[in-house]
Amino acid sequence: MNKEDEKKEDQNQDQQANSSSIVQKIQQLGQSNIPAAPDSNIHVLSIIGQVEGHIQLPPQNKTTKYEHLLPQLIAIEQNPKIEGMIILLNTVGGDVEAGLALAEMIASISKPTVSIVLGGGHSIGVPIAVATDHSFIAPTATMTIHPVRLTGLVIGVPQTFEYLDKMQDRVINFVINHSNIKEEKFKDLMFAKGNLTRDIGTNVVGADAVDYGLIDGVGGVKEAMAKLNELIGQTNETGKQVIQ
Amino acid sequence: MILYTPLTQEEIFPEEENTNREYITYEGRSICVDKTAEGRYQLVQLLSTDPQDFLDDKFTPGRILP
Repeated sequence: MNKEDEKKEDQNQDQQANSSSIVQKIQQLGQSNIPAAPDSNIHVLSIIGQVEGHIQLPPQNKTTKYEHLLPQLIAIEQNPKIEGMIILLNTVGGDVEAGLALAEMIASISKPTVSIVLGGGHSIGVPIAVATDHSFIAPTATMTIHPVRLTGLVIGVPQTFEYLDKMQDRVINFVINHSNIKEEKFKDLMFAKGNLTRDIGTNVVGADAVDYGLIDGVGGVKEAMAKLNELIGQTNETGKQVIQ
Repeated sequence: MILYTPLTQEEIFPEEENTNREYITYEGRSICVDKTAEGRYQLVQLLSTDPQDFLDDKFTPGRILP
């Protein structure tokens, strides 16, 4: 054995010492003993923290970047092995246009989709939650519905007001088109006074969201999986009929 | 850009802070990593829609990439 080989072996040993598990050692030898899990026919998209849009938010924000999610949604639509998608929401809102982009993408996917609002689905999380075929909310989860606001220097007040108003209408229209809530009711919640400390709006909790028609049902993983499998069954049946 | 969120502006945009967070592709998956002082990468977050990926030891958060 020459010196170079010895050096390499030393390095190998060092690396092995660093690796925390036996799996890593096996991987370094080009082998893997991880049992191949069967491909899941249901994929999961988690929307967490801030929905990040055109501007990169400071790193201490936990963000969901729409440029990561949009290609994933296309991949889900394209992959014949994927039959359904679950969306997990625990978001505090974020960029209006990124949120609406995600919501529109989710709404226009041909495969069955189900969403679960877990801790919170606030602001722009609302249109994302209702974009799916069926939506669930955990009994303890909340959704804050409030107007779109602006802080900072404003140049051209009437035009800015007009723009914000339109922006808000886009959110309202999307929500009323994709859920059972009436426009009047949604606007009532959005402009309600006395519910939020420093703001106008409403904090809608679990069952209330279902009562208002915003969300389809109260439930968690079990209910969402059952519903998704039911929807997948329906799609498969109609698919078969078309072939026949 | 318009943010639609109940958080205040200060909560989202605090004073400047340096980090070494990066998004890289590792074993065919997009992951978010922090560069450690020794110049190695530590996995922060896995970006995947496949639930099986999250059961894979290779993508456990906190793992130092070899």
